[in-house]
Amino acid sequence: MLMEAIGFYAIALFLIFFAFKTISSANPIHCACYLVLTMIGLAGVFYQLEAQFIAGVQMIVYAGAVMVLFVMVLMLFDIKTELRAFSRGLISGFLKIFSAAILAGFALGAATNSIGIVDEGPPKVMSTNVTRDLSILLYTKYLYAFEALGVMLLVVAVGVVCVSRIKGGTHAKH
Amino acid sequence: MPSTEVFLKIGLNHYLFLSAILFSFGMIAVLMRKNVIVMLMGIELMLNAVNLSFIAFAKELGNLNGQIMVFFVMTIAAAEAGVGLALAVSVYKKYKELNIRSFEQLRG
Repeated sequence: MLMEAIGFYAIALFLIFFAFKTISSANPIHCACYLVLTMIGLAGVFYQLEAQFIAGVQMIVYAGAVMVLFVMVLMLFDIKTELRAFSRGLISGFLKIFSAAILAGFALGAATNSIGIVDEGPPKVMSTNVTRDLSILLYTKYLYAFEALGVMLLVVAVGVVCVSRIKGGTHAKH
Repeated sequence: MPSTEVFLKIGLNHYLFLSAILFSFGMIAVLMRKNVIVMLMGIELMLNAVNLSFIAFAKELGNLNGQIMVFFVMTIAAAEAGVGLALAVSVYKKYKELNIRSFEQLRG
């Protein structure tokens, strides 16, 4: 029990530190690098929670593909370190901090109120072979959703190519 | 001793608290940053925080449907990042900067 707690707190501190660095770094490239570390830490948390397959997918899809996409797009731009990383305006800044604090309070309050939401029965046992059960569920009960997701990815790929090829907006003279 | 028991016995609530903190960080990035790409990173952080709470509930209830949902959310997040970055590229071509303020000047 002690080792489990030490592991959880170590990885939670890692995550919170790098998530804070992600949102507070002035240089967007540094933000992307810290976000990669946050994603790797989240994969570790998923592994702790006995979701080995999702942890692997997290490493491949987020820490690999999505972050390479972010860094490549950042390389396309000629970006200097921003002098003012956060948006201006005293009143609007105060309102933004206020609304962020309210929403953070709601999130933490919801987490606090959820103590005891799951009845403490005998501890539920996950099956020993989670990946196998996950794939059986994905290809039987959720087959149509899975296929729809494939169609959606195709549509998004075509749409992204169209959007990035627009020259001068919809009213451009041909 | 119940006081240390709360901190030492890692359960659902610890993971929910971690998820809430990460979600708040992502939301602050979306609200406060000027750079469009960092705002997209904040959205990714929020989606990941929600994935964390899905998986924590899946473990607690011994039910694999939560993990299936995380699988779908990840796919949609990847598609959303692609679309958002394509929009950022096309706005950068026109205004030569990545400030969110430049979206105000779009005219067709």
